[in-house]
Amino acid sequence: MKFAFHVSPNLQSPNSTQKIMRELTIGLLVVFAASDIYYFVQYGAGVGLQALLLLACSLITTFVCEAIFAKVKKKDIKSFLSHSFGWVTSIILVMMCPITITPYAVIIATVFAIVFGRLVFGGFGYNIYNPAAVGRAVIFASFSGATTRIISGATPTAQLSSLFNWLPGTEAALDAYLNTVGGWGGLAMGFYPGAIGETMSVLILLVGAYLIWRNVIDWRVPVFYLGTIFVMGMVIAALTGIEAWHGIPAILWYPLLQVLTGGVIFGAVFMLTDPVTMPTVPSGRIFYAICAAAITVLIRVKGNLPEGCMYSILIMNTFTPMIELALDAPQLKQMKKAWTMIACAAVFALCVAFYGSTNKPQRAVPEELKSAYVMETAADHTVSALDKEAL
Amino acid sequence: MSLLLGPMVQHIPGRKDLTDHSDAKTLMPKKTVYIPVFAGPVTQAEILVNEGDHVKVGTKLANTKSAFPVPIYSSVSGIYKGTVKRPHNSLKPQLHMVIDLDEIQESQQAFPPLDWHSASHEEMVEFTKNTGIIGQGGAGFPTYVKYQNVEKIDTLVINAVECEPYITADYKCIMDSVETFIHGVRILQKMAEVQTVKIGVKVSHPDLIDYIKQEITRENAAGIEVVGVPDVYPMGAERTLIRTLTKREYDRLPGECGVIVNNAETAILIARAFEKGEALSKKYVTFSGEGLKYPVNVTVPVGMVVSEIIEQLGGYIEKVETLKLIAGGPMMGKAMVSDQISIDRAMNAITVLKNENYEEMTCMRCGRCTAHCPMGLQPVRISNAVKANDAVEMEKRGAMLCIECGLCTYVCPSHIQVTENVRKAKRTLQMKAKRK
Repeated sequence: MKFAFHVSPNLQSPNSTQKIMRELTIGLLVVFAASDIYYFVQYGAGVGLQALLLLACSLITTFVCEAIFAKVKKKDIKSFLSHSFGWVTSIILVMMCPITITPYAVIIATVFAIVFGRLVFGGFGYNIYNPAAVGRAVIFASFSGATTRIISGATPTAQLSSLFNWLPGTEAALDAYLNTVGGWGGLAMGFYPGAIGETMSVLILLVGAYLIWRNVIDWRVPVFYLGTIFVMGMVIAALTGIEAWHGIPAILWYPLLQVLTGGVIFGAVFMLTDPVTMPTVPSGRIFYAICAAAITVLIRVKGNLPEGCMYSILIMNTFTPMIELALDAPQLKQMKKAWTMIACAAVFALCVAFYGSTNKPQRAVPEELKSAYVMETAADHTVSALDKEAL
Repeated sequence: MSLLLGPMVQHIPGRKDLTDHSDAKTLMPKKTVYIPVFAGPVTQAEILVNEGDHVKVGTKLANTKSAFPVPIYSSVSGIYKGTVKRPHNSLKPQLHMVIDLDEIQESQQAFPPLDWHSASHEEMVEFTKNTGIIGQGGAGFPTYVKYQNVEKIDTLVINAVECEPYITADYKCIMDSVETFIHGVRILQKMAEVQTVKIGVKVSHPDLIDYIKQEITRENAAGIEVVGVPDVYPMGAERTLIRTLTKREYDRLPGECGVIVNNAETAILIARAFEKGEALSKKYVTFSGEGLKYPVNVTVPVGMVVSEIIEQLGGYIEKVETLKLIAGGPMMGKAMVSDQISIDRAMNAITVLKNENYEEMTCMRCGRCTAHCPMGLQPVRISNAVKANDAVEMEKRGAMLCIECGLCTYVCPSHIQVTENVRKAKRTLQMKAKRK
């Protein structure tokens, strides 16, 4: 009998990166599928197939890029592809794009995401920036006009940003906005056009809860990210003195509006939690999430961009190595430092909220939405969200 | 689970069912034992017997001349044949004393017993020093050292957790001699001059908890309490056990927060020494793992060769060419390249596993190692410092605090040998310290 030498421990958990990535992929595909079903039902097979086409374009581009890279590096293509998990980047990227985007824009964005977001850094595990966010930034910067006309009109997030400056100040103004997304229910369920995978907040939260339970993502990041946005929303609502909505005070409905609109829930569950680009230490992750939330809100209420989630992720990715260097000692010996850092992040978020509340609330119903609003008030209030969308 | 820290422990399937249902088998070597003369990395020993001498069970064979000298007693009776260098579980060949067994197996009192009820603290410590008892938890630290200075100690923790997978030797040993165990605990309680004694037992062994409780009630022992602890790894690590039982943290040694930790088998040895004058001769050792045909607990004399024990137990599984033979449990035990090693005094298990290893992948920085480290270290960051060969960072990141429990490697989904990386950091820092 021969005895093999092996460094201890000689026991390893059967859990693996592949299993973790498989669950993450399934989680993403569930959201994608639900969203695509909505487009099928609401806008017909053409629009529904468009989402699948975009996904196929992105996936094929990813595999082609990675295969070429593997060939150049003289690595086995099959094992490189299966250990690189490029498809996760692809799926996330497509889910962040509006359904109106043209396939060529998606292909170019994917090339940037995979090649410049990932492969040039050394591939999976070495990239500094979230590759999907890199790809989305390319689209933002260069292809914002590259849209097809299968669905017309601005997305609700863009409207909230451009028409209301993120601050609908009265009951009537909020009603006019909610009317475009099918009420609170429609906003939460995601029954309105927007980025393909970002709208279905409730579903994404459920998938996120499952992934947390399965230990695929760290609960701290989505909880602190969304929690901070919620609290900042409360502060802004309180300081700007916006009105209650049908008896619900603004410090409750306004933060909810902040969280449910746009891509923050998607970003919190699927992008900010990308382990490769966030700090490894739990205390650092909390600091990271709070700062990202503050930047998101800052871009939303003060920036020119309609949505700040993606850029906040990229900006905080930049700080990840710094956060790790700051919190490098044994964890039990740096608790005080960690708390101090988190407190600083919280103060930063609070400052942003104060600054954000210098905005003037949009009290009147914007002209662009007036006709729709009049129709809504005239119509029967029991009309379902889907019917309203059809109007 | 706290906000800023991960769970710092992890449940690991224990596979204790392989061995905990059957009785321990008593085995004797056919001809020879090889008693290791080993106490720490540099062991000089003064041999007290001459070649050809007849020794009995309990005859003092040698005195080690290490930082804390420990006498070694014979575990069998027979003729002393001199010394030989043989493979040892410290991974380096060590000096072993060869004794050929006789048929009668005479024993003698190794030393006169001591009435611990009336003895003073100094007498008890001096007596323990002379017994040669070393901690049975695996590290083999001489027991008396912990009791030399007990003024600040207010709690004694008895470690009957046995968190390593596969091992059930402590469990069997206590089940077989619970009365001696409680006596031992009471002796240690007196020697530590404390009121509070907590015995940590995994909740997954409710029979053992009940059994010890009954014995405490029967003995009417004051201050001794059995506490069920969660079935997680490394629950039996001093720091984790103290954290769970007393909610205290310390820097280097448990004494700093007023706690002494001793293993349950150590307590049994103490009782035998004080009450009967017996030195350690026979040990409970778990022989388990998927590589053995019939996993079981055995009681064998110290110095019996592992290959002989495995042969007597029915051998290895068939149709495989290579196995992993681990001295200890699979987490902290070291893989041996030879089964010619002998049972040493602090060894409590031999685990034989199939030679199956996972493929290593790129680190995805998931942070599981950081969240699970019982010492609160950040193994991934220490590994990064090792890759960058940055000794200053290794030190700053606390590599030297690592207890090498192996949990970071266990939880790593990329199957990276994280613990080995931290060990490299420790070696680098030790080399650096030596050069100074």
